Amino acid sequence: MSDWSSYRLQDFIPFTADIYFRLLERMGETFWPLHLLTLALGTAALLFALKNRARVACLLLAPPWAFIAVAFFMQRYAELNWAGGYIGWAFLAQALFLVLIALVRSAPLEPPQFTNPAVITGIAIALSGLVGLPLLAPPGGHSWYRAEIFGIHPDPTAIVTLGLALIALRGPAMWAASIIPTLWLLLSGLTHMALG
Amino acid sequence: MTDRNRRRTLKWIGAGIAAAWLPSGPALAEPGSLLSKPIPASGQKLPVIGMGTWRTFNVGSDPQLLGARSEVVRAFFRHGGGLIDSSPMYGSAPDVIGYALERLGIPASLFSAEKVWSPAGGTAREQVAELEKRWGVKRFDLVQVHNLTDWRDHLATLREMKAAGEIGYIGITTSHGRRHREFEQVMASEDIDFAQLTYNITHREAEQRLLPLAREKGIAVIANRPYDGGALIKGLKRRGEKVPEWAVEECGCRTWADFLLKFIVSHPAVNCAIPATTRVDHMNENMRAGSAPLPSASARRRMAAAIESL
Repeated sequence: MSDWSSYRLQDFIPFTADIYFRLLERMGETFWPLHLLTLALGTAALLFALKNRARVACLLLAPPWAFIAVAFFMQRYAELNWAGGYIGWAFLAQALFLVLIALVRSAPLEPPQFTNPAVITGIAIALSGLVGLPLLAPPGGHSWYRAEIFGIHPDPTAIVTLGLALIALRGPAMWAASIIPTLWLLLSGLTHMALG
Repeated sequence: MTDRNRRRTLKWIGAGIAAAWLPSGPALAEPGSLLSKPIPASGQKLPVIGMGTWRTFNVGSDPQLLGARSEVVRAFFRHGGGLIDSSPMYGSAPDVIGYALERLGIPASLFSAEKVWSPAGGTAREQVAELEKRWGVKRFDLVQVHNLTDWRDHLATLREMKAAGEIGYIGITTSHGRRHREFEQVMASEDIDFAQLTYNITHREAEQRLLPLAREKGIAVIANRPYDGGALIKGLKRRGEKVPEWAVEECGCRTWADFLLKFIVSHPAVNCAIPATTRVDHMNENMRAGSAPLPSASARRRMAAAIESL
């Protein structure tokens, strides 16, 4: 048997599904009612993005990224997975990058148009992260604390950021702001696949 | 927070909360029918069902899961369990074992098995010393070279530690059928007490060369991945297949856990299988599989054929 053919995705995930979902739940338990503030931040960021205030939207997104970097990845996920610390640094980098965009970028010449497919897609993605993902958790008899919330958990935060990038940013800034959220969502998807 | 501080914090946070509901029992071991086999190097008896910790015991500092894993360990010892196997590669698993042992006490039946693993950093001696602190034990019964990483250097050090009485036995590990050729060479050429490898009813490559060599050289064998990472037993249960009637009559296989584990530990070269679980009911099921009767050679052939036919 060759070495590489013997590896499965599951072999790279050093914890079981119950441990990962309990981690999500712990975040919810520990930081409630911070959820209300982070959801308000996310909603405000979406509204500012739609009003062509991309710089304010980026500034509002930065604190949740920094919070998740420390509270989720460095303090908790890193206990389960050595890669957690590195992912935490990537989330911090994303927070700094959003601040940088807010500081140096001028607003687009035209406000987001609701007829623009990119804007419509961005709104749908942002709403799915803000509203859709939290509603996915409760079925199965689990606690509401397990609901994944923008600003508390990484997946909805990355999804909302991707949506806002599509709405409010154009050109290199949009692509650059999307790299880390996209990579995280890929990694998260693979993790969920491995956990079954 | 440094790794060491995190571990210390993990122990104390979890201890505080779980102490409220985990009864501390001085007498954990209950007389049971768990079979044991002698370690060839010494004749010391080792229960045929041990406990793995990969993925299942890496729960970090979560008090709820620390308490739940302590209950799994409690069930293991209640059935007379001995060998617990972990590794510095398994994240917080060594800390979680240490937490459970601190809560439950260390029973005489514990056979502590750890590993040295180069990517964890530090020398083999430093790793062993660190792991002893994490487990809260004074001395490991067995230290193995994980996945043959830097095995020449590590085995030389472990041999010195064994000679000095700092550890009980030494060994090597592999899994998933990887590097069997090199594994065989180490078994043949080095003076080791244990070899840990993947052996289950659907992965029987070890029967060709490694298990016969272990018998010839007097090396105890630990079988990892007895359920093929869980897929094997979950698949059987999902299919809704019943354990064949002849297996119930022949070797008392009431459950698929019985069927799969009895197949492994009935191989004459295998000392111990190490299933991993997060659940007390599964631990009870696993431990019951270590009781007599075990299948005969002909029953083993029939068992393998039954699984192949599914």
